[in-house]
Amino acid sequence: MDRVFLLLFLQKKKFSLPFLLARRELRGGLAGLRIVLACLALGVAAIAAVGSLRAGVAEGLAHDGARILGGDIAISGGNQPLPAALGDWLRARGARTSEVVSLRSMLVAPGGDRVLVEVKAVDGAWPLVGQAEVAPAQGMAAALAGRGLLVEPVLRDRLGLKIGDVLKLGRASVVMHGTLSAEPDRVASPALFGLRAMVSLSLLPQTGLIQPGTIAQYQLRAVLPAGPGAATVAREIRAKFGEQGWRIRLPGDAAQGLAQFIDRTSLFMTLVGLTSLLVGGIGVANGVRAWLEARVRTIATLRCLGASGGLVFAVALIQVMALAGLGVLLGLVAGALLPIAAFALLRDVLPVPPVVGVFPGPLALAALYGLLTAAAFALWPLARAMRIPGAALFRDALQPSRVWPPQGGMWWLIAGNALLVLALIGLTVLTAPERRFAIWFCAAAVATLLLFRAGGWLVMAAARRLRPRRVWLRLGLANLYRPGTATPLLLVSLGIGLSTLAAVALIQGNVRRQVSQQLPERAPSFFFIDIQDSQMAKFRAILAADPAATDLREVPSLRARVVSVNGVPAQQVKAAPDTTWALRGDRGLTYAGPMPDGTQMVAGQWWPPDYDGKPLLSFDAVLAAGWGLKLGDPIRLNVLGRDIDFTVANLRRIDWGTLGLNFTMIASPGLLAHAPHSHIATVRAPEADQARLLRAVTDALPNVSGIRVADVLRAIAGLLEQISTALAATGSLTLAAGALVLAGAVAAGQRRRIREAVILKTLGATRGQIRAAWLVEFGILGLVAGGIAALVGLAASWAVVVLVMHAEWVPLPATLAAVVLGCVVLMLGFGYAGTEAALRAKAAPLLRNE
Amino acid sequence: MDAIAVSPAIAKNPAAPPLVEVRGLTLTVPSAAGPVNILKGIDLDIPSGAAIGLVGPSGSGKTSLLMVLAGLERATDGSVTLAGQPITALGEDALARLRRDQVGIVFQAFHLIPTMTALENVAIPLELAGRPDALARAEASLVAVGLGHRLTHLPGQLSGGEQQRVALARAFAPAPRLLLADEPTGNLDQATGTAVMDLLFKMRAELGTTLLLITHDVTLAARCDAVVHIGDGKIQDVLF
Repeated sequence: MDRVFLLLFLQKKKFSLPFLLARRELRGGLAGLRIVLACLALGVAAIAAVGSLRAGVAEGLAHDGARILGGDIAISGGNQPLPAALGDWLRARGARTSEVVSLRSMLVAPGGDRVLVEVKAVDGAWPLVGQAEVAPAQGMAAALAGRGLLVEPVLRDRLGLKIGDVLKLGRASVVMHGTLSAEPDRVASPALFGLRAMVSLSLLPQTGLIQPGTIAQYQLRAVLPAGPGAATVAREIRAKFGEQGWRIRLPGDAAQGLAQFIDRTSLFMTLVGLTSLLVGGIGVANGVRAWLEARVRTIATLRCLGASGGLVFAVALIQVMALAGLGVLLGLVAGALLPIAAFALLRDVLPVPPVVGVFPGPLALAALYGLLTAAAFALWPLARAMRIPGAALFRDALQPSRVWPPQGGMWWLIAGNALLVLALIGLTVLTAPERRFAIWFCAAAVATLLLFRAGGWLVMAAARRLRPRRVWLRLGLANLYRPGTATPLLLVSLGIGLSTLAAVALIQGNVRRQVSQQLPERAPSFFFIDIQDSQMAKFRAILAADPAATDLREVPSLRARVVSVNGVPAQQVKAAPDTTWALRGDRGLTYAGPMPDGTQMVAGQWWPPDYDGKPLLSFDAVLAAGWGLKLGDPIRLNVLGRDIDFTVANLRRIDWGTLGLNFTMIASPGLLAHAPHSHIATVRAPEADQARLLRAVTDALPNVSGIRVADVLRAIAGLLEQISTALAATGSLTLAAGALVLAGAVAAGQRRRIREAVILKTLGATRGQIRAAWLVEFGILGLVAGGIAALVGLAASWAVVVLVMHAEWVPLPATLAAVVLGCVVLMLGFGYAGTEAALRAKAAPLLRNE
Repeated sequence: MDAIAVSPAIAKNPAAPPLVEVRGLTLTVPSAAGPVNILKGIDLDIPSGAAIGLVGPSGSGKTSLLMVLAGLERATDGSVTLAGQPITALGEDALARLRRDQVGIVFQAFHLIPTMTALENVAIPLELAGRPDALARAEASLVAVGLGHRLTHLPGQLSGGEQQRVALARAFAPAPRLLLADEPTGNLDQATGTAVMDLLFKMRAELGTTLLLITHDVTLAARCDAVVHIGDGKIQDVLF
């Protein structure tokens, strides 16, 4: 009864009529609009999943901030030991403290095998937060007692170690007490520069590894008692001890670099998700168009019965948006559930244990993207519904594909659509951690769409001009430009996905080529670090005695922390996102009199070789641009605990791709030459001689560490493979969306195709001729879509490799050929499926009088 | 039983074998309610050059017979010979070639390809036959049906009568020996229908095409040389 009253009430309201009609029509089912549902669900699921994954990891980071930091507050002295007074002051305030020193060294197994390790020397209080996992199970005190050594399991396996083995670390003999499978203050990261070895802090002096200028990190962590918070304590430390170049971190910024990496990765994946949604949007437009075509009679009947164009539009809009809402909802459910499954699968790969849950923020954002996309792409085809006349009932004519919306509402429609597109772009840019990148993405997406559209026009124009003799060829070409053709749609639906994959494949191929081919050719074989002044003569003699060692280069090595830039403290500098890394932590610093060989000066002059005046600095041009640093600007560095004011004298372009002795900062000689420092050297040697050379150097100079570039490159290659796989998987989503749209387009045109096949067969066409015509049509489409996708992939990969990675780029013709071929095969596959289905259709039922 | 043959008297050359020979033709199709016998043993000879009207109530099997003669429906049993060639054993592509070279068909619903212009629609069978002058002949054919000014129009831009005239032009353009027409005026008003049929009979006469015309229109049937009555899947009688 209530329902009846409600309906009567609603029917009296004019605005309710479209809802009532839409509801009645929706009772007929979703046929025809399923593709809209699937396209939106896929795109929304991708964005929601990436957002939820990112939120889970970010919350994991935030939740575990104190654990990752190793306490409520961590003070890093960089390369300089922290004063005992700092620990005393903290303990006097009731804090529990722990001191940690990290450095790299060589660990020599009983058999003489040696590997680079990342040594972590800890005191008895470590870990202040969380628990370490040691096997066999024992307390940390027992594990590191005496000359105790813990190594991570992979290091044990690599060197074939057993409990009780005696190894050499620097000058000290250490005894393997067990393996360390988890450290609470370590985020999972690839071991590019050595695997973990842990010893007691009290053992460190015996190793002789700490020498003047040794590259080491000194940290003091503290767990604070209840009372003033960590931020207050940090301020008090600065007030009490002054600006000593220390870096004081709180749990919120425990893993800034990692957070930035996660932000960037998720930004990329979100943009790929948006590309899927963009392709899905095209599917929405096409689905709505096909749905309207199938509903021409219903709409014409409504028009005959007195429905206005506006009412028809409103009814159709309500139905499409209701369906879009359902698609978005399905996408959200999948997007919320997928990360939960992914967390379980990726537990070992993710840097921190993520927080598992439903994150409303990313889900709401994904929903907004989905609804905006649906509205933006459905509006135009829906408006054409207003132009379907009542006369359509009486004339079974083909609805021309280019029916313009009614003239009166044209400007409103254009304005509405523009507003929706701007809202989508605005949302993309405003929610991106790197807005410039997002703006470039939007511009590239629009340009790509226009390019495919232009490609469609060109194909149609060219096909129209050609008149080959063979009928199947002519029929195939004619299919490309006839009224109602899906040529532009087919091109764009598959093309965008393939463009994404082509770009990913080309970037991947270029990076792989750099890492596996170019870098090994250009890079040195070894980096030797921590060579003392007093050891240089011996070091040179060892290398001189070995004919395999060539191309020795050496420079002084110091560590420096940026304190301020143009008088602005480092943490407040407004730097470009890809340059902030250099403002955090210690950076390498060297000094030079004469200009080093191969220097590419961008601005300014090099100082005289015997310069001994006010400290000058030669700086990396890219970082300078990112920080807004110009010639003559002041920059304050903390070197060995002392703040030194430098003036930027010149800017250099650094080719990091050489993997040579590149420094972002080179100081003028004079002041620094007198500071205690070590040397760093690079050497080239054939692969077969490298082990012998490493042994010779590190046996004679136990505190010197040799980094084998090949090992690092191998680790980088492995890491790149993992990243590439993730990117390719995400890129495949776009292709899947494209395939969905393609399938939808082929299905939408299938009725027409079947009818055409039957008529052609009736007129005497053989199946071979019909098949050949459609192969021509889809083959050309595949070739053109693949060609444009290859072009887009080329441009995008060039931009990323050259402009973002500052690396050398090559076009990789084999990859491009694979893209084009793949596209042709995919397109032919879809065409073949449609054609065969049409050829199987029986003629008689279609030809009988309707 | 002897085949019900249209009288040799109406054939131009009574000694010549009939263009179409149908013997013991049956057509059974499956349905949810069990097999349905549509044609129940048709025997029919159609002499070359004759115009035969095929009449009968709805569901009597007229269109099914036409479909079988055109090779668009496969007979369950019996034989059909067209121009001396048995067609029941032919494959789909061979049947297509046979239609291309020998048979023109006109439907009530026109069945033009909606995405092709009038000219392209008419040219298609000629192009399929590999005729180098396909477009020129198609144009001439359209001019002959009074549509020389509508060459580039799509079917959707033409009236029903015009669409049927395009279909006529398409059917006659390759000069087929047999024209099968299934209620070609069913979708047209009387005046337009009459005009279309005048055209059909005129072109048939000019080309000497054999015609099998399905119609409900008695006056139209009367214009044929003979009228075959079909009912319940069988030929009931033949009127001359």
